[in-house]
Amino acid sequence: MLATFKHLHSLFVMALIVAALAAGAFMNARLRHLRESEAFYRWILAAAVNERLFQEDSARDQDLDLYNRCAAVMETMPGFSGLPAPDDANTGELTALGTIAGNYEQDETIWNFARSAEMEELRQEFLALARERKLRFAQDIQYADAQAGGVNVFNLFFGFRKVAANFVWLEVDRYWHQGNTYRMITLMRTCVALDPQFIDAYLIGAWHLAYNATARMPDTPWPQREWHPRYEKCLGEKERFYYTAVDFLKDGIRKNTRNSKLYFDLGFSLYKQKLEDYPNAVKYLTEAVALPHEQYVPRQLFLCLELNEQYEEALAGWKDYAARFLDNPVVQEVAPRFIARNEGFLLENRAAELRKKARETADSAEAERLNNEADVLWEQARAVWESINDPFGEGRKMRMEALDMRQEGRYLEAIAFLDKARWEASDLFNDFSDLIIEIKQEAEIPLTISEKKAVIRESEVGLCAGMPEAEKEKRLRAAEALDSGL
Amino acid sequence: MNGIVSFFSGPAYIALYTYREGIRKKVLIGFLVLSLLVIFGSSFISSFLDPSSETDIDLKLIKDICVTAISIFGVLITIYISASVVPGEVESKVIYTILSKPVRRIQYLLGKFLGAQMIIIVNLLLMGVLFFMALYLRQGVMPTLLLWSLLLTYFEFLIVSAFTFAFSCAATSPLVPTIGGLFIYITGNLTEYLKDVEHRAGQTGQALDKIIGDIASALHAILPNLQNFSIKMQIINGQPNDPPTDVLIPNLILYGLVYCLAGFACAYLVFWRKEV
Repeated sequence: MLATFKHLHSLFVMALIVAALAAGAFMNARLRHLRESEAFYRWILAAAVNERLFQEDSARDQDLDLYNRCAAVMETMPGFSGLPAPDDANTGELTALGTIAGNYEQDETIWNFARSAEMEELRQEFLALARERKLRFAQDIQYADAQAGGVNVFNLFFGFRKVAANFVWLEVDRYWHQGNTYRMITLMRTCVALDPQFIDAYLIGAWHLAYNATARMPDTPWPQREWHPRYEKCLGEKERFYYTAVDFLKDGIRKNTRNSKLYFDLGFSLYKQKLEDYPNAVKYLTEAVALPHEQYVPRQLFLCLELNEQYEEALAGWKDYAARFLDNPVVQEVAPRFIARNEGFLLENRAAELRKKARETADSAEAERLNNEADVLWEQARAVWESINDPFGEGRKMRMEALDMRQEGRYLEAIAFLDKARWEASDLFNDFSDLIIEIKQEAEIPLTISEKKAVIRESEVGLCAGMPEAEKEKRLRAAEALDSGL
Repeated sequence: MNGIVSFFSGPAYIALYTYREGIRKKVLIGFLVLSLLVIFGSSFISSFLDPSSETDIDLKLIKDICVTAISIFGVLITIYISASVVPGEVESKVIYTILSKPVRRIQYLLGKFLGAQMIIIVNLLLMGVLFFMALYLRQGVMPTLLLWSLLLTYFEFLIVSAFTFAFSCAATSPLVPTIGGLFIYITGNLTEYLKDVEHRAGQTGQALDKIIGDIASALHAILPNLQNFSIKMQIINGQPNDPPTDVLIPNLILYGLVYCLAGFACAYLVFWRKEV
């Protein structure tokens, strides 16, 4: 009797173990599904960022093909169409998936899409391609990378690789203080390979590359530059550092699609401050603003919008910003000045447009009406600059006076006035210098040698080694046209 | 109702006794002091960095070092405690006195296991509180994501603890189960490699090759995969409201509980057959 009981008891406990292990196997399968879906979800976000912002394609990798098929499946799935995109998204050229991925509030939707049963086939294909290392954007996603098997960085240190990344960073810091830039760059890459979520490594790394590594380098003379097909530009050693920094931050963005700091640094520190590429600065700062961000981020976006001559957008942005932060003294001090600046620019532009229309029209009455209207706007702009009462406002007033002289045909007077004014309003020095050249060309007054050099410098006429023939030909034609103009 | 209360009152007393006895162990105190020193010392690691740079790198250093220290020292404490609570009493022969009283083996085992868990939780809390304070003093905001990270760390320890406990029930001294526990932790982190074996199997077309692949596949399906808990490192430096993390956390808690039940059932089977 006792033996039977013991036997039954053993059987019961064994059955319990089997049941628990079966439940464990079920949970294992469920977690595997979730982790596969997580890797797939993160890859979709990276590929969507590439579609929305970078448009990079590599013949070797199959990211684009797989992404397009995912986007095609999404179009057919009920419940995923008609979802809200970000307010300022340019949705015309994007797939539905790319549009939805542009709105971080829709992350839940992308996640549900990535783990849905309809995506099972593509998810398995994603894992198979990741295993064969054919997906560029999956290479730093932990689970996807682990599919390749063998020894990879994610399996090292039992998952404690982030600590290793921190110690590598301490070495980067040491090399920086030693001025050992080239070693530093290699270690920075190691650092982000060990920990792709190390945001500060991307930010500080890009800053070192764009600012510190190039601080003592002179601009590379044109004959020493080489054509870089990836950027379609003639670059020397110094200029290559800027683009390496851009690539470094873009890499960080692909791996951390929802971090506004990376977008901000790419837009502000690199495109605005270093490369003076305002359209791209606006593009990345707009992304930074669309994500949870610090309070100063929109201010930089509005500044870049102004620099990119998108005055209406900048004005609307500043007005909204001032209304949102009523109790912030800094905002309330800064915003009115920039609101007025953009209003001044808009009034000047509208007046210039009306004058142009007046010149073009054959109807003298209409021309007079347009000119009168333009004069009113012109005076309003002058009043705006007067109200600002700072060196920039004073400079804009002087510019308007010079333009009035030009309008009246008093070219020499305008040039002399601007020549004096550019030293009084240093903020607008370049602007005034450009205007002097413009007036001289209009009045057919010969340019000085330095002015000619400035014209050539501003134009895309430079040739460099390795440039494709078509590009070389295009630039030579442009140089000839420019030369005849001079 | 009275039956249930009286059934659980025995394990509760044993758990309390195990906790009181275990928390005084010198090795355990040594591990705890070391871990606290590392966590405390991590606050000074920023002195190696450029003091002029206004970045969050020092914060990240503290987070990563503390989570790693908690994981390493925590798992050592877990293995040591889980491996020693039963063999220690077999060695000192206290177990004979206890089992001669009206205490069932399941009650004894449950009490011992719960006592070990109390020690692990208290140690984890002590380390976590110091980590929490280090972060709060530097950041000025409540590091709530840290709580999720600590919770997942505990459930990872729960799996290691349950299987080490099962090992210890078969042993007469704590040494073998301690080594076994370390083995469980290491292999638990390498379960992912079984999938690699499965993928590579069948390439030669030989029957043995295929069998190895099938075995690897079965083991991969059944064995606990501790790498699933690696998101505890991602959480503390990641963005809040990450949809996959929100789904993974409750699943991982359930995962820990299921394998804890399997480990405890194994422990009971071994202990029930043990001649004491």
